[in-house]
Amino acid sequence: MTAAGGLEQAYRRLLRRYYPPLYLRRHEEEILGVLMAAANPEQRRPGGRESLDLLWSALKIRIRMILRGTDSQPWAAALALTGVLLPLLMLLLKLTLFLDRGARYGFGTPADLLIGAYGEPGRYAMDFRLNPYSIAVTSHVTGALTAGPVPALILAALALMGWRRAAAVFAALVPLAYLGISLASGSILVAAPRVAVTLYAYGLEALVLLAAPNAPRGWRALRWRPSALLAVATVAAGVGMNGGLWPLFHRPLTPAAFARIVNRYQLGSIPHGFIDRLFGVGLNGWGNWLLYQGTLVAVVAVALTIMLVSSPVNRRALALLVVPFALGFVIYLFSLINPPLPGPGGNALTILPLLVILLTAMALRLVPRSPASPDAPSHPATPGDV
Amino acid sequence: MSDRPLQEPTFLLLTSLAEGPQHGYGIMTDVERMSDGRVRLRAGTLYAALDRLVTEGLVEEDREEVVEGRLRRYYRLTPHGGDRLAAEVARLQHNAALAAKRLRGRVIGGLA
Repeated sequence: MTAAGGLEQAYRRLLRRYYPPLYLRRHEEEILGVLMAAANPEQRRPGGRESLDLLWSALKIRIRMILRGTDSQPWAAALALTGVLLPLLMLLLKLTLFLDRGARYGFGTPADLLIGAYGEPGRYAMDFRLNPYSIAVTSHVTGALTAGPVPALILAALALMGWRRAAAVFAALVPLAYLGISLASGSILVAAPRVAVTLYAYGLEALVLLAAPNAPRGWRALRWRPSALLAVATVAAGVGMNGGLWPLFHRPLTPAAFARIVNRYQLGSIPHGFIDRLFGVGLNGWGNWLLYQGTLVAVVAVALTIMLVSSPVNRRALALLVVPFALGFVIYLFSLINPPLPGPGGNALTILPLLVILLTAMALRLVPRSPASPDAPSHPATPGDV
Repeated sequence: MSDRPLQEPTFLLLTSLAEGPQHGYGIMTDVERMSDGRVRLRAGTLYAALDRLVTEGLVEEDREEVVEGRLRRYYRLTPHGGDRLAAEVARLQHNAALAAKRLRGRVIGGLA
């Protein structure tokens, strides 16, 4: 390799290390040309100041790209981003429940964890002992599908790995299985907005995965979106704090103490923890609200703000992420109606949005599309010596 | 935004494009020559500046050429960029004239 070839390779490595790929795709050869033209004929390695200048300039370009969002296809990027963020968010929600209820009332047996009966230690064993074939047991299967952490874990893993088709099929099957089992056992669905949110989130995940097949896959969709990662990390930190703070206020309950409290509704008899004893704040005192709900609300608000102000792609992703929660809120409003909707009406109300989402996803799957897209990764024409 | 004075490197970069389209290395050497070697744009700085000016609509891409196996992209001033540079020239001329006039007054006052 000639001295010039070595120098060029070194510059190329620097460019690829510092600059965003989207920017390099258009300017790599051009900048290399200028670097080589400006280089000393005997020069073999990039100069220190030159390297520092490249680092600093790349940083400026990165910040500018984050601020203005230079994606040629912002919706495709937003769909790819949502495809990763949505399963992460669902997993976080399950973790909140798990940590929060678990820290308060005990984490239960593995079977309780599987069916998502957080905070009800021994619930599964008790129901199963009463009647292995009852509706209660059927509801455990549906509970495992929506409230339990396992489907959320599987979906998050598939989505992060970028196995788009497998993730989409799984995301579509979970709510369909839930509906099938629930309808067969005659449950009324409208009473559970939280379940509805989960069903819509899975449906939407299938849709966004199928809608943008050429966008960056899996965790790569997060790679150049530090603001989106920051937002997720903020929520995760809040979730961790929210559940993790309980032991500071209260002692975790033994199953016996839990049963006693539930039987007598003596919530005030939950044993005090370190901070409660220190400040004398009771169970319903301001300190509890401030440190649980208050912390979580503040953290979510910060995350939303980060997503909203950071880039057009993040704003689009946020709009998509809000869909299942907005639909769930509508279900919640309907659940307040007195007297409640009759069973079939409630079921139709819950199922209809999900069917619309899943049918749209299927339609997107069947639409033929062009193989190439500007967002597809491209390879430099002449990567070696010239 | 258009009221803010241009930084010298930006001013020289726009000046370099005032006569006609230039490619990156052309701008770099031109700026160095115009400033008698005082202002040296490094490649990173140059392209960060071009990226910013293109975003602001002062500069746009003109054409591409391949010379000795190297890609050269030419940049040109947009009409808005021309106006901005002209406004900056007027501002500098006004300031320079004002300063020169006051200096003359000071010399005469000092002698009297």
